[in-house]
Amino acid sequence: MMNTGLRDLKNAMERQGYICGDDLAVTVYLALTLKKPLLVEGAPGVGKTEIAKVLGRVFETEVIRLQCYEGLDENKALYEWNYQRQLLKIQIMKDKCRQEDMEKDLFDEEYLLKRPLLKAIRSDKRVVLLIDEVDKVDEPFEAFLFELLSDFQVSIPELGTLSARHIPIVVLTSNGDRELSDGLKRRCVYLYIDYPDIEKEVKILQTKVPEAGERLNREVAAAVNYLRSNLDLRKQPSISESLDWARALLALNADGLTIENISATTNLLMKNREDSLQLLDPGVLRDIVKHVTNPS
Amino acid sequence: MDLDNVTAILAEVGSTGKDTIEYNITRFAQILRHLGVRVSLAETMDALGALSKADLLSRDQVRGVLRACLAKSRKEAGIFEEAFNLFFVTPEEKLARQTNRREMQTERRRIINEAQQEIMEAVSEWQQDEPDKTILTESQLETFSLLPEEEKERMKEILEKMKSNPVNNPGELINRVLQSSLNYWRYHMMKNAEMEKNAGLPDARLTGDEEMDEVIQSVAAHFYHNPGDRIMHRDMESLEDGDISRMTSLINYISAQLALGMSRRYKKSSRAVSVDIRRTLRRNMRYGGIPINLSYRSKRKKRPRFLLICDVSASMARYARFIMQFMYGLGSALGGIESFIFSEDLERITDYFNRKKDFTQSMARIINDSRQWGKSTNLYVSLATFNSRYRKLLSPETVVFIVSDAKTISPERAAKLLEDIKLRCGHIVWLNTLPAREWAGHPPIKIFKKVVDMYECNTLSQLERTLRRQVMRNI
Repeated sequence: MMNTGLRDLKNAMERQGYICGDDLAVTVYLALTLKKPLLVEGAPGVGKTEIAKVLGRVFETEVIRLQCYEGLDENKALYEWNYQRQLLKIQIMKDKCRQEDMEKDLFDEEYLLKRPLLKAIRSDKRVVLLIDEVDKVDEPFEAFLFELLSDFQVSIPELGTLSARHIPIVVLTSNGDRELSDGLKRRCVYLYIDYPDIEKEVKILQTKVPEAGERLNREVAAAVNYLRSNLDLRKQPSISESLDWARALLALNADGLTIENISATTNLLMKNREDSLQLLDPGVLRDIVKHVTNPS
Repeated sequence: MDLDNVTAILAEVGSTGKDTIEYNITRFAQILRHLGVRVSLAETMDALGALSKADLLSRDQVRGVLRACLAKSRKEAGIFEEAFNLFFVTPEEKLARQTNRREMQTERRRIINEAQQEIMEAVSEWQQDEPDKTILTESQLETFSLLPEEEKERMKEILEKMKSNPVNNPGELINRVLQSSLNYWRYHMMKNAEMEKNAGLPDARLTGDEEMDEVIQSVAAHFYHNPGDRIMHRDMESLEDGDISRMTSLINYISAQLALGMSRRYKKSSRAVSVDIRRTLRRNMRYGGIPINLSYRSKRKKRPRFLLICDVSASMARYARFIMQFMYGLGSALGGIESFIFSEDLERITDYFNRKKDFTQSMARIINDSRQWGKSTNLYVSLATFNSRYRKLLSPETVVFIVSDAKTISPERAAKLLEDIKLRCGHIVWLNTLPAREWAGHPPIKIFKKVVDMYECNTLSQLERTLRRQVMRNI
């Protein structure tokens, strides 16, 4: 029943350093048991891609990644014939065998260059297929993708239909650059990851940067939370930026936040000039220090 | 077949009573649909299937399972949360809500009766012979009951004064005065209510089922808690002064994001479309002419140029400011935008924005210098000026944006000029600030829609969606 499986999954993910709430665990568990792709949305740096990597470690299997970008096509995502190798074979065998035999040989699986999608469905073991930043692909490719994700089989004209040996654990991530089609969304279990609350962020920091100590980690989490909710930033600091910030403060031997050490490490948190200037405002710096030392 | 009907039939067939899971889940899916969440039948069935894996006694698990299957975006997840909390409640709470609803109805009835009595007392002296002469509708009586106390008194005073005027048919006169005055008040009250409604969830529709409608109305009214979300979905004209700075920073943020996406798109413009024979042969000379490495001919994608023609007549002035700011933000990705404003005639304002000044300062100068701000609209004259003086700015890469509510004189002649412009540019996109539900009542819109692609655009959310989805797809 769900309770046991869910608890096991959550514990296993935590053992692999991924701290998550029940909401996230329920959704991931559901994707796994229903064998449906998991579509994860959220701001950059909240741990979307990490879910696939963690699942790979939890199930001790390979993570096959397809990084999406505009212009990505089937040749680069699914398969391509090894054209150069085929040409060489033609040259070598030119006078040695009959034309029909050669043609048969040339379109064999050994001349097939398997790209991530084909590799994932033809694997001997159930793998994790990470389709990263799916919102970057063009619409026709998205349509192709959701056909593949519903049937898990591929038609190659020269070879016929290749079905999945094992249905992979599919994780799709999106930064919300473009709204995905209803068809794709309908085939997936959906998860939105928001920025964590202070307690969860402290837990993440404690797991990833334990050497920073609880006091510094708590202050970092409170400060980042304060920035996200009180400043009108162009890019809010993500979890990965909190981790970098904690590490940087640790490198400066800080055991708590001060106006000086926040000013010295601004560029770890803020990634554009306007945001940095906002943070460096003396009033804002004072408020942050006051807030983290007196959270009530 | 209509999805709601299918759901309704499934709910009937699949349930022996109203307490089954199937019945409640299909009703819940129907509520979500009426709140603008796209829930298909397949997803409803997925949700039912997934529930069989969940511990039904755990509210959090049920919530998590349903959300994963039914909500497919951040906004939908927000609507889901609100609807879930209101729909899945204990029978006691449901009963309490029903009782509360009935009490409110009784109270409304009582107030209307009181209003009727109050009005009858005020006019009774006049209408002793014909007591039924003053017949007001329920909605008019309700309007009277909702009036501020001083307005009620004022209305009674007017009636009192009329007593001293000898007229032929006093009953009829009083009736007319009362009715028209109450209709006037009702119109104003409804207009304010409409603005309130627009501040909520715009896609919400009612079902006709009392229990479901209660959830829908409640979610729709309270959905936008976050001030940013509220501003995104509110009619730009109805923004209060306090919201302007928030709106400005939102526009800056969104236009910067969109500009970034657009500039990325044009950097990656080389796409392999066909084999370049000449290059391939040259490259493979060393292999004896066997084409081992292929070279491709790539098609260069030209960067589009935007041209904005913005209506700044009285009804459009506020929208124009925000939309121009948005386009100004996009200028960073597109190397400047040709901009024009018009009302009675057309004026070019591109130079104001090229002076590297802050947007607010540029805008203030335009308003001071322009003779068009706040006048009436004549698109025909404006387009004629455009065609005679600025036609050379058009090329097949130009996307022309027209921002207007289409309330202009001579729409047929203006449409003809638009056709000329269309032949010379890549695409014309009309951003109409009038709500789409009102388009049918405006004949000029029908005329222009034959010539251009028209999109409803009176909220920041619509502006962003239109530019992102429609425009980027077309260019």
